[in-house]
Amino acid sequence: MIPHAPILVIVLPLFTAFVMPLIGIIAERYHIKYLRELIAIGVMIVVLILAGTIAQEVWNGEVIVYELGGWSPPWGIVLAIDALSTQMALMIAGLGTLVMIYSASYMSRDSGLSYFYTLMLLVISGMMGIVLTGDFFNFYVFLEIMSISSYALVSFRRDALSIEAGIKYLIIGSLGTSFVLLSVVMLYGVVGTLNIADLGAKLATYGGTNVPSVLVLSLALFVTGVMIKVAMVPFHTWLPDAFTAAPTAISALLAGPAAVVGIYWVARLPYLPFGMPVGLILVSLGLISMVVGVLMALMQRDFKRMLAYHVISQKGYMVLGIGLGTLGATLGTQGGLFHLLNHSTYKALLFMCAGAVLYQTKSQKFDELGGLGKNMPITALTFLIGALAISGIPPLNGFVSKYIIYLAGFQAGMPWITAIAVVVSGLTLASFMKAFSSVFLGQRPQHLQGTREAPKPMLFSMIVMALICVAIGLLPALGFNIIGPAAEAAKNTSSYISHVLGGT
Amino acid sequence: MIMGLNYIVAMLLIAAGIYCLLFKRNLLKLVIGLAVMTDGIHLFLISMGYRLGGIVPIFSSEVAPSLSEFAARAVDPLPQALVLTSIVINICITALALSLCIYAYRHYGTLDTTKIRRLKE
Amino acid sequence: MFDFIWQPIIVTVAILLCSLATYLLLLSSHRTTKAQPTPEKMKNYACGEEIKPEEAHADSAQFFSAVRRVLSPFYRHIQAAHTGEVNTYLLWIVAGLVVILIIILLTVW
Repeated sequence: MIPHAPILVIVLPLFTAFVMPLIGIIAERYHIKYLRELIAIGVMIVVLILAGTIAQEVWNGEVIVYELGGWSPPWGIVLAIDALSTQMALMIAGLGTLVMIYSASYMSRDSGLSYFYTLMLLVISGMMGIVLTGDFFNFYVFLEIMSISSYALVSFRRDALSIEAGIKYLIIGSLGTSFVLLSVVMLYGVVGTLNIADLGAKLATYGGTNVPSVLVLSLALFVTGVMIKVAMVPFHTWLPDAFTAAPTAISALLAGPAAVVGIYWVARLPYLPFGMPVGLILVSLGLISMVVGVLMALMQRDFKRMLAYHVISQKGYMVLGIGLGTLGATLGTQGGLFHLLNHSTYKALLFMCAGAVLYQTKSQKFDELGGLGKNMPITALTFLIGALAISGIPPLNGFVSKYIIYLAGFQAGMPWITAIAVVVSGLTLASFMKAFSSVFLGQRPQHLQGTREAPKPMLFSMIVMALICVAIGLLPALGFNIIGPAAEAAKNTSSYISHVLGGT
Repeated sequence: MIMGLNYIVAMLLIAAGIYCLLFKRNLLKLVIGLAVMTDGIHLFLISMGYRLGGIVPIFSSEVAPSLSEFAARAVDPLPQALVLTSIVINICITALALSLCIYAYRHYGTLDTTKIRRLKE
Repeated sequence: MFDFIWQPIIVTVAILLCSLATYLLLLSSHRTTKAQPTPEKMKNYACGEEIKPEEAHADSAQFFSAVRRVLSPFYRHIQAAHTGEVNTYLLWIVAGLVVILIIILLTVW
């Protein structure tokens, strides 16, 4: 590992973000095309390489503890990286790079691109910070960095719908982050520390029973805050609006890499820092979201809105899997985390396909599209791969992770959960059949006769994502090598605590 | 007694903020509600580090003659650092929210939340 | 490590073979009929007006109208509840917080 790699993956996008307006001025003064795009993509590739070197070390059984400013753990802020954080960091860096390549082409018609890339890199930096930090308040700060940048990105084009979506996202999201802040404050008041490992060690002395009532309130606030970010069903309402109205590159960013952040905390939640039983809440929220999400998606008229409701439904699978993992099904956590990896890949792919169609036809309504399969064959093919993967059709990656969650349902002794999951999967296939037939098959409206295939950088990202879907589907071991250690690490709190606090 | 009052006022502010978010139909009032609620949380946070008759948490011979007396009397510096960070973040949110409100008014001609709802179902 | 769960290569080959067999079956049962429709028969009518096939497009929300009919209570209540009003959504969030709080209280004590 390169020394200081853990902080570099956070600081590098952060500094580049603030240099970006300057780069924009240089690019305009000297008429250098694509300077901003190339620098943003270059930074993402460097971040990916750095995350890869960190991963090498973590998979050898280490928990990397990086002390900021040389202050040792319980007092100073630390970055604590175990295998779970590594999975998330790799996903953010990898998918973020692909989304960045996509947006270089997708946003090329817009103005104000310096600020667009500033905000994009800020979102990446915030997400990296959330998954790598070992300090609870630091987590809140990074959460706000990510959230505020994504509110601004959603309303980037400043038309009526995106402003409406942005302001709804802002109010709902800020309520969620204030809940998280209140939870952090209460936790600090009860326990007197902010280090996650230290919190975990001190809260473990309560032993899950006989906890102070403030702690229960704190946990409830934290769960609500995280669930707003994850968009589980009573808290989901910002998501369809934001994903419909945002530029599609942003929808892909929020659906792919940014989904990681919420699920990361859902996976941490049952073990660290609270260590209190939340399995029942996770399972019930997951089930409700799965069913409501897919039923709402069935009746949508808007391409991106349908995909957005499927995000809710698929995140329900992950939360359900992680919840089952705490109720005695050892496969559950693995299934949830594996589904996160697969879902982020194919949902970003599907949004990219919707974006390619929107870019070429300027329409995202099912009723105005049709017959584009002949004009955009590669988009249609990659969309088909993504659609089959999300519906859990066997040789593709979506099936593997869903299958593990089905098995976890049996393992937990609740086969009816598996039955619901299978039915939801079938309804997902049904709604993607409708999407594919309305957009790529059937009669082509007259004004779309001359539609051409999407530009090459967009196709590149889509093809890479489709290849990842097929590769993980055919060789699940590729995914398991990342997921196995991550699921172990999520449950192994004692190792995390002893590694972080060991130095003192 | 005074310590208890702090927490009561903080909770009242949070409750007032949530009430405002739930029952006011004007976007600007929602933004005010968010700010009031966050300020309640800030008051809660800063009260937690305070102690009656506390001294500045900077160790020097003028503030406290000995380390043990300093440790016994100084207020907790951590909540002060946290609340500063949080106030800055809250300003960002409020500024962004207000700028979005301006655009919403330009597009919809109103700030009524019951009228700004083209995205539904 | 997880090989016992799922053998994707074998299943993929099996799926491909089965689809090939299905396709062959379809191909062998294929029969061409010599239907020669009059030009009148090929025209599309909508509300008495003649329209081009390119302009005819089914309403996508009615694609699964059967599901909508079977689950009509869901769509009448839950879909209609997504009114687009921020206050309603915030109310759901606070109500959800209270429910989560109650569930945690019940499980912890």
